[in-house]
Amino acid sequence: MKPIPRVSRSVVLPVLSLILTLVLAAGLTAGAARLAGDVGPTYAIRNCRIVPVVGPPVEKGAIVVRDGLIESLGPVDRIKIPGDAEIVEAEGLVAYPGLISAFSNLFLEQPAQPGGGQAPEPEFPVPAQAEAAEDRFPPGPGLFVLDQIKPKKAAVESFHKAGFATVLVAPARGIFEGRSVVLNLNGEALGPMVVRNGAALHINFTTERGGYPSSLMGTIAHIRQSFIDADYYAARRAQYAKSPAGLKRPAYDARLEALAPYVKDREPVVFQCNNQEDIKRALKIAAEFKLNAVLAGANEAWRVADVLKKNPVPLLVALDFRPPATSQYATQGEELRKSAEAEIYPANAAALTREGIAFALVSGANVDGASVLKAVRTAIKAGLAEDAALRALTLQPARALGLDRTLGSLEPGKIANIVLVKGGIFDEGGRVVRIFVDGIPFEYAEVSK
Amino acid sequence: MKRRAAILAALAVLAAPLAAALPEDAHIIAITNARIVPVVGAEIPRGTILVEDGRIAAIGADVAVPAGAQVIDANGLRAYPGMIDGYSSLGLVEISAVAATVDNRETGRINPQARALEAIRYDSMHIPISRSNGITAAIVAPAGGFVSGVSCLLKLDGWTHREMAIKPAAAMHIELPGLRPARGGQSGGRRGSASPQPDGPALLAELKGLLEGARAYEKRRDAAAADRRLALPGYDETSESLLPIVKGELPLMISVHGEKDIRAALKFVRDENIKAVFYGVEQGFKVAGELAAAGIPVILGSLYDLPPVWEDGYDSLFRNPGILAKAGVKIAFSSSSASVAKDLPYHAAKAAAFGLGRGEALKAVTINTAEIFGVAGTMGSLEKGKAANIVLADGDILELRTNIVKVFIDGRETDVSNRYTELLDKFKK
Amino acid sequence: MKNPAIPRLAACALIAAVGLLPAFADGGSILIKNGTVLTVTKGVIAKGDVLVVDGIIKQVGGDIAAPPGVRVVDATGRFVIPGLIDSHTHVALAGTNEGSEAITPEADVGAVINADDTSILTALSGGVTMVHTMHGSANPIGGPNVVLKMKWGRPSEELVVGEALPTLKFALGENVKQASRTVQPGQTQRYPATRMGANAIIRREFARARNYMEQWDRFRKAAAVKNPPGSLVPPRKDLRLEVLAEVLRGERVARVHSYQATETVEFMELAKEFGFKIQCFEHIWEGYKIADELAAAGIGISVFADSWAYKMEAAEGIAYMAGYCAKRGVLVSINSDSGERIRRLFNDAAKTMKYGGLTEDEALRLVTINPAVQLGVDRIVGSLEVGKQGDIAVFSEHPLSAYTRCDLTVIEGEVYFDRDEIVKVREAAAAKAAAPRAEGGAR
Repeated sequence: MKPIPRVSRSVVLPVLSLILTLVLAAGLTAGAARLAGDVGPTYAIRNCRIVPVVGPPVEKGAIVVRDGLIESLGPVDRIKIPGDAEIVEAEGLVAYPGLISAFSNLFLEQPAQPGGGQAPEPEFPVPAQAEAAEDRFPPGPGLFVLDQIKPKKAAVESFHKAGFATVLVAPARGIFEGRSVVLNLNGEALGPMVVRNGAALHINFTTERGGYPSSLMGTIAHIRQSFIDADYYAARRAQYAKSPAGLKRPAYDARLEALAPYVKDREPVVFQCNNQEDIKRALKIAAEFKLNAVLAGANEAWRVADVLKKNPVPLLVALDFRPPATSQYATQGEELRKSAEAEIYPANAAALTREGIAFALVSGANVDGASVLKAVRTAIKAGLAEDAALRALTLQPARALGLDRTLGSLEPGKIANIVLVKGGIFDEGGRVVRIFVDGIPFEYAEVSK
Repeated sequence: MKRRAAILAALAVLAAPLAAALPEDAHIIAITNARIVPVVGAEIPRGTILVEDGRIAAIGADVAVPAGAQVIDANGLRAYPGMIDGYSSLGLVEISAVAATVDNRETGRINPQARALEAIRYDSMHIPISRSNGITAAIVAPAGGFVSGVSCLLKLDGWTHREMAIKPAAAMHIELPGLRPARGGQSGGRRGSASPQPDGPALLAELKGLLEGARAYEKRRDAAAADRRLALPGYDETSESLLPIVKGELPLMISVHGEKDIRAALKFVRDENIKAVFYGVEQGFKVAGELAAAGIPVILGSLYDLPPVWEDGYDSLFRNPGILAKAGVKIAFSSSSASVAKDLPYHAAKAAAFGLGRGEALKAVTINTAEIFGVAGTMGSLEKGKAANIVLADGDILELRTNIVKVFIDGRETDVSNRYTELLDKFKK
Repeated sequence: MKNPAIPRLAACALIAAVGLLPAFADGGSILIKNGTVLTVTKGVIAKGDVLVVDGIIKQVGGDIAAPPGVRVVDATGRFVIPGLIDSHTHVALAGTNEGSEAITPEADVGAVINADDTSILTALSGGVTMVHTMHGSANPIGGPNVVLKMKWGRPSEELVVGEALPTLKFALGENVKQASRTVQPGQTQRYPATRMGANAIIRREFARARNYMEQWDRFRKAAAVKNPPGSLVPPRKDLRLEVLAEVLRGERVARVHSYQATETVEFMELAKEFGFKIQCFEHIWEGYKIADELAAAGIGISVFADSWAYKMEAAEGIAYMAGYCAKRGVLVSINSDSGERIRRLFNDAAKTMKYGGLTEDEALRLVTINPAVQLGVDRIVGSLEVGKQGDIAVFSEHPLSAYTRCDLTVIEGEVYFDRDEIVKVREAAAAKAAAPRAEGGAR
């Protein structure tokens, strides 16, 4: 049995240590098989500047990490460094919460399917004339992306070096794409990475190539009919369960089963919005079926600020500054398109801040950490305040994912996702020296410019 | 005297059946009381045109009408020269979606041997429709690939295609890449496709090579012809077909669209010292001065297309002709069509709405086109000695509401009925 | 630190420099003075004014005084007409066909409006203020269409004309048969592949819709009793059949793309059989063959002037068609069905004077009040009358002259296209490009 940490010395030692021993013994017994050998090392990061996001920065501080959690943090002279702690000298560095990308395509095998605005509609696609309802549509809603991904060391490193400790990996094929997973990038094995699996359903305004629906309006009808059917299916099942006598047994439908939690229990549905119209389309569908909607992409959200103010939903704003193919900024000549990409779209986040619309910034389809940071810098240059950018990559995504009790800021009790940066995290010359994910440190040698 | 009369009588008797067999342009027609718009020269508010042997024998305010002339009282009507279409697919395309009726695009890139005249369907339903709107001649051109083939200049009247040929070979056509495809509308493939292809300068370099090859071939061929000991070079169809260009016997019509390519084409024509006409020239307004200085005439493409380059402005195709004309470029309009070839005058009028003078617009569908194709001696205006290609209209020939009452080609009054009128008459009952 | 307005203004400057000004609200009021006013329904005023206040035409006549703060446009020498209405287009949409299946009325173009489509600018440059933008013709039953005002720069929902009659697109003939497509190995040809199948499939769907309505009817009756049985199961709501039910209930009218006389007459019989209304046949190049039948049935047509001979079923089209049918009592509108022809609607209308012998007034109606009636919006647009919406176009010459040009397009009193402005901006840009560059410019 490992030494018990002694958090306080001011209490009457014998009595309390006895009580603590009993309490901890009970806890340890309960998970003895799991805990034995699984307790991580203790670290004391000291003499760095701390930007906790919640609360003011601490100029010279210390953070104690124990067993993957933040035990304490504060000014260095006020934090007791535990005896079993490994000291991490962090003078001249800044400690931030590990960044969170609440929407990414990290670890996906195939490249993400382009959104509805980008894909040209085939003229007369020949259909597969499937008769059975089951065969007609792929069981997208039931798919767990966790079953499809393979962690890649290079990808983890790339994101570590950009300060990211947590990503949501979103499925990326089809209209009903499936369910995402939130991962802490804490190593090479997938299992221990999982923070939360399968909470959100992802829907993209795209089309089924070579089948129904092959047009955006078909897709919208298909989405609506699917939710109508899921609702109907759930009602029939409930009716049958309550009193089956005299009722024909409703046929099992895997797809509609998978959709039911989203219409009935308001589990979150993430809509991929490839342009401003998609935002309005998503909100309309969400209102019709009373869905718990989250909007992702939304790189021209500023154009529908009024609508978003009236319908506040979590926004996962992509750091993609290319004007959508259907946008007027993309169809009136190359000069306008280039200027829009360089100046107008990067100002999206700044405009949302000004409008008082909360949002998270996400890496989206970009799987190169350095270029994600570059995009953040571009948004900052275009008017986004640095601390707003930081919140959009820490607390806001944590809130959007419902994980703000354990992630998104540097506070005692939260998961020890901490990134130590030489320079500012969004500075051009900033460099991640070390990142803790679930309290596990990863060191990155300084790369000379 | 009596003998003379007897001979004349005998001749008359003999001539009578001949007269019936002879084309009607042998006799004299007098079009009187017309408001004459000769295009070259001043308008004659009220005058007479005398037609004899298919030609304009006299034209003026005080022309005497000879006895025996067929008199056509054109009171209230205007007389114009027949219009000439600078580029069309009349007779080569019937129904565009039905491949069996489409003959203007040969397969492959290099087809100088393709001759439009040899495929003309002279009873195409589109020809009478165009003719009945006052168009009396048209360039019919092959299209597609890089070297598309040889166009012909046809009069829109004749029992066989050869009869219709004014110029069996009018120009050799080559096509340089289009600008970005126009959005919206049903623009044709001649605006260029999005697939990667060699650019204008590269194609011109290729053509230079082909012309050099033709010259070299000619030398070898002629040497072998002169000296039987020399080996006869194999028959080189491409070189043989290109020789007329090299020898200045046939102009080159270059379909060229963007500013950069137009400049490259100008340089090419200068360096190779060949006769050339440019077609399309959507960004001509950007290089109008250079086109004028080089003396290159321009056949404009259809104005029924969206501007291929957005930044050029929503009306760039409409403004283009006026800017070119002002800079001194000789311009002519085309229908670039078969099924709406009748709209030739309205392209001209549309340009006049956007800066081209109305007089210039009219010239650009008559005399300019004739001059560009070297037939101004016989057509393009109402002048003594020229062919009697005369259109009688109840208004401005470029106006949409104007009705064309009569169309004469080579002095013969043509049939103004067409597919439209036939079907209408059939179902009117 | 950039203000969101600045990037927008910069973009607008660019757009204006190369294209057209987006709308900034004039407050919906404008006075157009001293033009020749062609009201379409109430005659011609040789030297007339049109006053629009808050989007509605307040006065039409001579010597109207400008209310304070209202923009005045001098139309001396120009012609003032109602904004043109294109009764059949596919502009401002993100997609027009759900071609994977033959019957898709659940696919609604109203859900995919794209207010960023530059075709709106093209339409405005041709004096078009309102369009009926539709499904394509891939399917025997396509789906609902939508009527839009060409309000460039406004959010998409503001373009929708709520007063318009709900319509459903049907199509017959070659496009539906996919006549020009070669079936690839391993793929099956889509049913229907003949005109026989096209009729049959439409009949089948209406029969299904009738059944669907009957099912719901029975359920509602059963559910309405005092103690409905616990085993009562409602029918499944089917978006596809819901739309067809609207047609059967008379809440939605049919707009039918057809060419040949036979398929047209057969569809008329089908409509009679099921009791629904055909508002218009579209294109219908053989319409002149059955003009009297169409007139008798009170069915309108929406056609081209002379775009024909592009496929077999268009090979019997004649340029006289629009004019001839109009003279036989059919309600005719001329449409563009094209993002290019949409800016020449007035030219196409003029052609009916030559091919068909229509008067100026009759020709102008084909692109103003007639399409308004067909779309059910003649109460609010289609002519210059007091009380109608201020949708106006100003032309440099008579709109039916080949020499004319649209100079100004106004929708509900706001200027959406101003050629003079564009020319000014263009000249300024050209001057700037020619002048030496200023230091420290933003770009």
